[in-house]
Amino acid sequence: MIKDKIKPYILLLPIMTIIFGIFASGLIMGFMQSLGRFEAIGMTEFTLRYYKEVLIDKGFLSSFGFSFYISIVSSVIAVVVGVILAYLLLINKHKKGIEEIIYRIPIIVPHTVASLLVFNILAQSGVLPRILNFLGIINEQSQFPALVFDKNGWGIIFSYIWKEIPFIAMVVYTVLKNINDKLRDVALNLGSDKKQVFFHILLPLMMPSIISSFIIVFAFSFGAFEAPYLLGPTSPKALPVKAFIEYNNPDLTNRPYAMVINMILTFFSVMFILIYYKVFNLINRYSR
Amino acid sequence: MNFKISKIILYLLLFFLLVPLFVLVIWSFSNSWPWPNMLPKDLGIRAYKHIFSFRTGTLGVLIYSIILSATVTLITIIISIPASKALGVYDFPLKKLFKILVLAPIIVPPVAVAMGIHVSFIKMGLANTFLGVVLVHLIPCIPYGVRIITSVFEGIGEKMEIQAKVLGASSLQTFFHITLPMITPGVISAASMVFIVSFSQYFLTFLIGGGKVKTLSLVMFPYIQSGDRMMASAYSIVFSLTTLMILLIMEKSIKKKYKRETDLFV
Repeated sequence: MIKDKIKPYILLLPIMTIIFGIFASGLIMGFMQSLGRFEAIGMTEFTLRYYKEVLIDKGFLSSFGFSFYISIVSSVIAVVVGVILAYLLLINKHKKGIEEIIYRIPIIVPHTVASLLVFNILAQSGVLPRILNFLGIINEQSQFPALVFDKNGWGIIFSYIWKEIPFIAMVVYTVLKNINDKLRDVALNLGSDKKQVFFHILLPLMMPSIISSFIIVFAFSFGAFEAPYLLGPTSPKALPVKAFIEYNNPDLTNRPYAMVINMILTFFSVMFILIYYKVFNLINRYSR
Repeated sequence: MNFKISKIILYLLLFFLLVPLFVLVIWSFSNSWPWPNMLPKDLGIRAYKHIFSFRTGTLGVLIYSIILSATVTLITIIISIPASKALGVYDFPLKKLFKILVLAPIIVPPVAVAMGIHVSFIKMGLANTFLGVVLVHLIPCIPYGVRIITSVFEGIGEKMEIQAKVLGASSLQTFFHITLPMITPGVISAASMVFIVSFSQYFLTFLIGGGKVKTLSLVMFPYIQSGDRMMASAYSIVFSLTTLMILLIMEKSIKKKYKRETDLFV
């Protein structure tokens, strides 16, 4: 029946109106402006000039490196620790463990607040240097390494892993809880130890959820504005912050630079994820 | 022995997650806490007094933020349910493409979308308005709504609905008496997630709202940026407690209704 054939499309119509009307058209208009076509101020010519200028700019390259470094370091740490946390929650399960609730609290805290937490603790006037001073390990504020607004991005990385560990743990723990206990029991019965059970049974079953949550946290931290804006160094700036500064320039002819950065940001977010999927599929094929 | 080590590591991790929040609470009550004191010099509620004084109007901002995010949540859920049904139950050409499109906002940086759409929003008169901010909030919220509700539909399929229709129920009856009660738990978790995403949004509100649409995230930001620890911490506490309260109310009220409805069928 024709009605049944078009039914899914009708069901998708409202959401697609929003996706095309705002999301896709926002990206397309950003793309047009990145090519120098910005009708609102009378720029109608297509050119690759802005891409060229941005791509040879040293400041851009160091920003790109900085964004990539922060996302990869924080995501890898968050995934490893998150999986460990999920596993520990599983093997230490009580009947009504309060642990199961409290580990999820950081999920409802926004990134702006997470940045404040890091500032409260790791800044040179924060709680950690005070404790070290009290213990006599350092004598002055300046002896404590600069972990906030620093070129190594420690502050940003800490705020991300604090937020992301519970997220990863929650996703993975949901999967772990539903894995049949019998699988584990059979393996233990056949003489494998706990380590083998973890690496040969639980880990492969967790893998799809680990991959998808890694993708989410990586893409998020690569494109997020708040934490690097609040905790990042003056230079290099993370890409989203750099894009915003270009965007905020009162000279509207500067807009294309912001849009070029945005397009590169978008392009690489999508690319990293494709590469990640491909590599994962390859490994999966060979290990079988 | 091994068992004990695993427990110690677990509690160390939980400690790492919770300690920053304790510090936050202490700092919000510290009228003065100079270096290198280990404890605040002067405890008090000056920050909270300031936040809730009529002059700052934070209470109004708080209610406004809740209404804004509730609107976003409602719209997201209303458009996500049919979309999730299509993606979770039916097979059709281009299904994969639609799925990618709906989930894409998780991957594509919101910064890029917001800056791209800003000029059009200004032209259409949506910039600096409640409606404009609601519309742009939908983008990061949609993937969460659809992901969660789709997995629910994948689990329940269409059998029960077909059954009801065979027995003579209309489409509306089927939806309200069969489909909705079955997907309610999934809808609650989707709504909670969507509310959190919208309520925490800073950049999108700031850019599209142009400082005219004042949410709690927006009002709180300058305090964090300037390093005013007492005020920033107090705002953060108010923010987090509000989120927690809304989530609890949402879960409780829907659960209650859900229970009553299912009772009718027993």
